[in-house]
Amino acid sequence: MTSPSIRKHTDNAPVVVPSRLDIIQAITGVLLILFLWAHVFLVSSVIISPALMNGIADFFERTYMAQIGGPLVLLLIVYHFLIAARKMPFRASEFMTFWRNARSLRHKDTWLWVVQVVTAIVILVMASIHIYVVLSTLPITAEQSASRVQGGWLPFFLILLPMAELHLGIGFYRLGVKYGYITRASRHVWQRNEYVLTGIFILIGLLTLVRFMLLTN
Amino acid sequence: MRKLNIDVFRYNPLDPESKPHMQTFVLDETPSMTLFIALTQIRETIDPTLMFDFCCRAGICGSCGMVINGRPGLACSTQTKDLPDHIVLQPLPFFKLLGDLSVDTGTWFRQAWERIESWIHTDKTFDPNEEEERMDNELANEIFELDRCIECGCCVAACGTALMRKDFLGATSINRLARFYIDPRDHRTEEDFYEIIGDDNGVFGCMGLLACEDVCPKKIPLQDQLGIMRRMTALQSVRGIVPKFLLDRLSPRRCGCSCSEQHND
Repeated sequence: MTSPSIRKHTDNAPVVVPSRLDIIQAITGVLLILFLWAHVFLVSSVIISPALMNGIADFFERTYMAQIGGPLVLLLIVYHFLIAARKMPFRASEFMTFWRNARSLRHKDTWLWVVQVVTAIVILVMASIHIYVVLSTLPITAEQSASRVQGGWLPFFLILLPMAELHLGIGFYRLGVKYGYITRASRHVWQRNEYVLTGIFILIGLLTLVRFMLLTN
Repeated sequence: MRKLNIDVFRYNPLDPESKPHMQTFVLDETPSMTLFIALTQIRETIDPTLMFDFCCRAGICGSCGMVINGRPGLACSTQTKDLPDHIVLQPLPFFKLLGDLSVDTGTWFRQAWERIESWIHTDKTFDPNEEEERMDNELANEIFELDRCIECGCCVAACGTALMRKDFLGATSINRLARFYIDPRDHRTEEDFYEIIGDDNGVFGCMGLLACEDVCPKKIPLQDQLGIMRRMTALQSVRGIVPKFLLDRLSPRRCGCSCSEQHND
């Protein structure tokens, strides 16, 4: 028995928007992951020597990569947020349903998504402030960063750092899961890798902050 | 021997006097007792009005899906010895409540199967006198692996996305379509599959929460199938933009298993 398919009778080309938005969410996510890794590594050069960090910062400013790249990264963050936020439970009924389900299930991956939503909103606000403050007080130097961290900005970074690294680590894992690169067989290994990766980057970030705290002009 | 305190959700939507509430039953645990046995005992010895679904008692029919201590599962394949003394039983959310622990999964599955056109699409005319077409044993096993779904509804009832958005097709439908995707008798193309699941009610609605994967009583590889179908569908939408060699590299193989490692084992 063959039944006619209703879908086959329409001449319209398939709608590609939902799919492409999903791809853009993935690509912007990957770009932001790569950016943050590079960012943390480059700033952590201060641990080796403030002069090294100043040299790197100088290179990025003279080539205008900081001045142009900074706003572009902010744009990327906003864009990534907007696309990903399509899935957020904004309506009260959605929020209550999701929350009740997460509490009742006691299921790790469901909670990881809640972490993604919370960290996303925190990062959106704090990263905007961070980018604005840094780019409006150029040039970037180890001394200036140190005086900023010592002058009351430490709590700001102590919140932003783990939030960003958590979001990145969980996002990396979930992207792999959603696109079938992390499979049932490899899920537990990747979940551990994700913890290690997040831990390492938080550690590098903390060491950098400690270095800034101890840096004297 | 333990005494079990079983809290059961009670509500009869057809009785105007009935109010949703939890009722506690106390039972003596017996060896190898399943929740199905416990519920039957309650119905036979304590309260004959208790409503719950069952049929096969062996994890095959998928009737007795319910929320057991917060997680969807099958009453017949859950042993009380694996649970604490205090057990809370609720009906599966998402589906229409018929009464107490009984829900109507059939109506939902029927419309879902119609939406994904859950049958072999072929132009071939069936000839009853012809010899049956042969199929490679490995492929037959791969199809069977995905065909093991008993439609209990646990994956949908555990899915945060499905609970929030009632039009979401859920893991079971996408797994069902993955089964036709690898079946060479189904002549639907990638484009056809895209039209069915290539939106936010389909595979792009999935948020990768993996509750489906973790509650499935039949351990169907839902995570892997969701990944395969999402990647296939996503690549379908950028055909013509992304170079062909890259598409071929990224495309999942049209087989039941997501990774080459599993084949090599």
